[in-house]
Amino acid sequence: MNFSPYFYSQAIKLAMSQIWANRKRSLLTALGIIVGVASTTSVIAALSGLKANVLTEFESFGANRLYVFPDRPDDKPRSMYPRDKIRIKPWEVREIQASCPSLRAITPITEFGVSVASDEKELEGITVVGMWPDWHEAENRRVIAGRMFNTIDERSARQVCLLNEAAIDELRLPAEAVGSHILLDGRRFLVVGIVETLQSRMFGDGGNAAEIFIPFALAMKLQSSDIFIRITALATRTEVSEEARSEITQTMRRIRGIHPGDSDTFQVVAIDQYIQQFKAMAAGITAIAGGIVGISLLVGGIGIMNIMLVSVSERTREIGLRKAVGATPGAIMMQFLLEAMALCLAGGLVGVLIGKLLAIGMTLIPGASLQHADVPLWAVLLSFAFSAVVGLGFGFFPALKAARLDPIEALRHE
Amino acid sequence: MIRVRALRKVYRVGDEAIHALRGVDLDIGTNEMVAVMGASGSGKSTLMNIIGCLDQPTEGSYELDGQRVSHMSEAALALVRNEKIGFVFQSFELLARQTALENVELPLVYSREAGLTGGERTRRALQALERVKLSDRVTHRPSQLSGGQKQRVAIARAILNHPAILMADEPTGNLDSVTTREVMGIFQQLHAEGQTVLIVTHENEVAAFCQRVIRLRDGLVLSDLPIAEDAAGHHQG
Ligand SMILES: Nc1ncnc2c1ncn2[C@@H]1O[C@H](COP(=O)(O)OP(=O)(O)OP(=O)(O)O)[C@@H](O)[C@H]1O
Ligand SMILES: [Mg+2]
Repeated sequence: MNFSPYFYSQAIKLAMSQIWANRKRSLLTALGIIVGVASTTSVIAALSGLKANVLTEFESFGANRLYVFPDRPDDKPRSMYPRDKIRIKPWEVREIQASCPSLRAITPITEFGVSVASDEKELEGITVVGMWPDWHEAENRRVIAGRMFNTIDERSARQVCLLNEAAIDELRLPAEAVGSHILLDGRRFLVVGIVETLQSRMFGDGGNAAEIFIPFALAMKLQSSDIFIRITALATRTEVSEEARSEITQTMRRIRGIHPGDSDTFQVVAIDQYIQQFKAMAAGITAIAGGIVGISLLVGGIGIMNIMLVSVSERTREIGLRKAVGATPGAIMMQFLLEAMALCLAGGLVGVLIGKLLAIGMTLIPGASLQHADVPLWAVLLSFAFSAVVGLGFGFFPALKAARLDPIEALRHE
Repeated sequence: MIRVRALRKVYRVGDEAIHALRGVDLDIGTNEMVAVMGASGSGKSTLMNIIGCLDQPTEGSYELDGQRVSHMSEAALALVRNEKIGFVFQSFELLARQTALENVELPLVYSREAGLTGGERTRRALQALERVKLSDRVTHRPSQLSGGQKQRVAIARAILNHPAILMADEPTGNLDSVTTREVMGIFQQLHAEGQTVLIVTHENEVAAFCQRVIRLRDGLVLSDLPIAEDAAGHHQG
């Protein structure tokens, strides 16, 4: 069944003029599709806006980053897991470093409170962080002045430290603080570098707190007991985050001698895992929105079918005439299918435009984290595809009815 | 041109069989102008519909332009209608929202002819309108035309594809006597230009424009005479 381009152009023109001639009726008929498409596209716009926000946040955080924490399983009595069994030890970190090929950088991190003094100022209970030189890479914190920590600092437990700008302020150190000395619990430390201030919109208040960093080996010395260590590590690539996670888990279980079936005494968290979870959640919501649109398109489709049946019976004589001048049943069928599709696509277009407007409206809501809300191209295309399919599906029966009309009876129709 | 043999048409309404045609034999040659007459219910429209390929006979054979068309598929019949047959109806059947020109172009929408340009389509439609003397009403819509003018647009549409036969079932049924003459004048002129014409009518005045009159009664050919003899016989009868 092949028709001339002229047939198609005339059929489409006729479909448009039918819709326009009955524009009120067409609008009411297409309402189901308009509402369905507008609501889905705007939900998708909101989701994609939120997703863009959250994902850029995660990515800036480092999607390939992993954390390891000590963790007491809560399925057994506490007495079975004394603190010492749970605590992460430095040698365990070195073991992970040695046996996890998917890791690029790893550092233990330990935090504790000390008294800090400069020539100008003395402060109590300031948090000091001890870490390996890998920390710069693992936490993505570089220096803006001076130098980063190196392996010699760590191995020979040099009394050196890094500060952030807030710490310089609080200790009233000169702006060019590199080269100055500070006292930590009475020990003299040389300031070798200034680390850049942490920037995060969503997580934590990084930027404003004073931070002091010292080599991990020294941090171990300065603390008396009950040392709490966590680990930050970086997978070689985001794609192997999950692999890195299981490598760490297996290594830890092995060195801690955890029997199969027993719970982990630690917890490994991959940022990527959160990203995947978030993506899965977003996909779930999109699917639900899709389901809702499916239902409203079904309702809309029934309206389309009804109006097309009305159209066929109103235009029975016209159909008879078209057949008399040579329209085949296939041509009549095609024409009414095109008309139903045009009606649905027009509804889809209006729906997409409304969705687009709603998306623009969302970006203007202050503090809603929706400034990136936009109807993605795939949603526009999908809306049109859906509309066309509804037109095809629900236009089929009326079109078949038109195609099967007997021309003689059709021409006799009042 | 047209060769009909032992044509029968039976309609079934419930248990009842209505014999609309009971064995009609008919030959119509090229460039004849024939009137079909007969009482209401005698089978005129039934015969026209079969000759016009809108309907299939129950029995018998029908050849159009050397082609056996009885028992063709619906799609094949549509093609025959498009290329070989021009219909004119009692109630014009023009599309209200389209101009005279667009109405005349309609058969080309369903044409099998490939590669027709827009210019060529318009040229043909204008030529058809010229032949029915409506070159000055090209962009008018049906509501802006008189009854006679509407029927002339319908005739232009019917002759657009240069059909083997131009068929009209009571084309003047909705017209007064003045416009009847106007429309019949057009049929006569087309006939003079070589067109084969077949007209169903109740009116002797209309039949008088034709050369030959076929009279039906109860689904059978009652008489088939040249107009002069038919008119004489009719007077006697
Ligand atoms: N679709 C149909 N179903 C049943 N019977 C039909 C059908 N069409 C026609 N008939 C019957 O066939 C017979 C011939 O009808 P037809 O329409 O051919 O007559 P006609 O000569 O054209 O009459 P008129 O001058 O009134 O138009 C009539 O008895 C009519 O009732
Ligand atoms: Mg009749």
